Amino acid sequence: MKTVNKVLEAQHLELRLAGRTVLEDVSLSLECGHFMGIVGPNGAGKSSLISLIVGLHTLSRGEIYLFGAKLTKRNRASLLRRVGYLHQLRGHQEHLPMRVENVVAMGLSRWSLPLWQSVGGKKAIAEALDKVDMLAMRTHDFRELSGGQVQRVRLARALVHQPELLLLDEPAAALDSKQQQQLYVLLRGLCDDHGVAIIMVEHDIAAITSHVDSVACLNQYIHFHAMRGEQIPEDVWHNMYGQNVHVIAHDAACIGCG
Amino acid sequence: MLHDFLTSPVIHGALIPAGLIAVVTASMSVMILAHRLSFLTVGISHASLAGMGLAVTLSLPLLPTATIISCILAVLLAWVPKSDGISEDTGTGLLFAGSMALGIVLLSQVSQSDVNLFSLLFGDILTVNPDEYRWLAFIAVLILLLLLVFGRRWWSIAFDPVTAAAAGLPVGALRILLYATVGMTVMMCVKLAGIVLTTGMLVLPAATAWFWGHSLRMLWVISMLVALTGTYIGLYISYVQDWPSGATVVLMLCCMFILSWGISWIKKEHGKKRLGQA
Repeated sequence: MKTVNKVLEAQHLELRLAGRTVLEDVSLSLECGHFMGIVGPNGAGKSSLISLIVGLHTLSRGEIYLFGAKLTKRNRASLLRRVGYLHQLRGHQEHLPMRVENVVAMGLSRWSLPLWQSVGGKKAIAEALDKVDMLAMRTHDFRELSGGQVQRVRLARALVHQPELLLLDEPAAALDSKQQQQLYVLLRGLCDDHGVAIIMVEHDIAAITSHVDSVACLNQYIHFHAMRGEQIPEDVWHNMYGQNVHVIAHDAACIGCG
Repeated sequence: MLHDFLTSPVIHGALIPAGLIAVVTASMSVMILAHRLSFLTVGISHASLAGMGLAVTLSLPLLPTATIISCILAVLLAWVPKSDGISEDTGTGLLFAGSMALGIVLLSQVSQSDVNLFSLLFGDILTVNPDEYRWLAFIAVLILLLLLVFGRRWWSIAFDPVTAAAAGLPVGALRILLYATVGMTVMMCVKLAGIVLTTGMLVLPAATAWFWGHSLRMLWVISMLVALTGTYIGLYISYVQDWPSGATVVLMLCCMFILSWGISWIKKEHGKKRLGQA
């Protein structure tokens, strides 16, 4: 049974980087088990928004509440232990020799213990790898994996400490379309069965609408926040992407297309 | 011959400090490779000349003064580039040239008997006095403790700093601590391998381990075994052949690296062939 519980509450967030306003007056609220997609054009501040929530940028204005507590420098580390975060890999060349299972182990909170104490968590690691269908490759060298496999192992690392809130920045980027669908089904399952709340940034709105509970259209500020079955007005699209966008309905169950 | 080596009073005095230095540098070399700091070690080892010059000019204790100055320079390098948009290798290069020049000017003003420039440049494990011994032991224990406590965190920052920061790790502070520890290690290593060869001691053990290890602990253990083997075999050869000790040790480490490279290449080719046949 799902209990309705505020996992994340963001109020009037403003982010300025190098004198440019990246985000303006963004308010969001997320409950247990809610799966939210964020779409928007390139440079709209989608990635900035979720990295703001995990404290990678300093807020210019606004407040963030995680699990009912206001996020501050002091409680940041303990609150973030309940959050899983997956950022976009940009031109990253892995050079550390590590096995897949050791990479996942880094997601455990016991990982920060001194080296004379063991991290343990073998079962949690196996479960996380199983969820992303990488259990059979747990002893493989991480450097020799394909892009899609790397992405799934990184997701397992984000899942291994059983977070209550998952923040994912284009998690499907390196996956083929079959793997993408598997990923969305997995994430949907985490929301429904474990009450995990998810915010997922994705540029491909068509791919996610049948899986998410709501879609927020972001370009500097939130233009529209559509719930399942709700239609996103055409002028919102035009404001976000320009006049040359035509919305084509392709699925009755999908959000935003009507 | 081996008996002569072990009972020679000069060698006898060097065995324990050399082992200590091998263990510490090998441990740190894992982090130096993971964070790609080899050039930083070159920079700091040359900059240490300024520290020694300062110590000799002001008649301060040589090793402690040089160690503290190395740490300060390393920490400066950790945050100066970020704050002013100077790239890290430019900053290291600047520091490298500037402080070495300062060191040479300072050392040129003191009499030859105070400081042996040749031993600073090429290392002199065979002349460790009791004061220096105590200092080396203190620094070694401190470095190993820091590594045991912060090793995993440093490792995860090297792996993925963004995810580490998002998990609440104070990445900036941890990085500064790492740089300071590298500074300490470099100074320690200068005593054995000298300024010129310090980079070898701080890069080669882990570079060799990189072919065989698959986790932080394994890399650490292999790296230590490589460094100890190289150090003792190197010392023995240097005794028998009357070669400079630091250079011989680094040559040994180079041989072990090349050997590992060769073996892992053959293994890979063999594996490919087997895969092709299957």
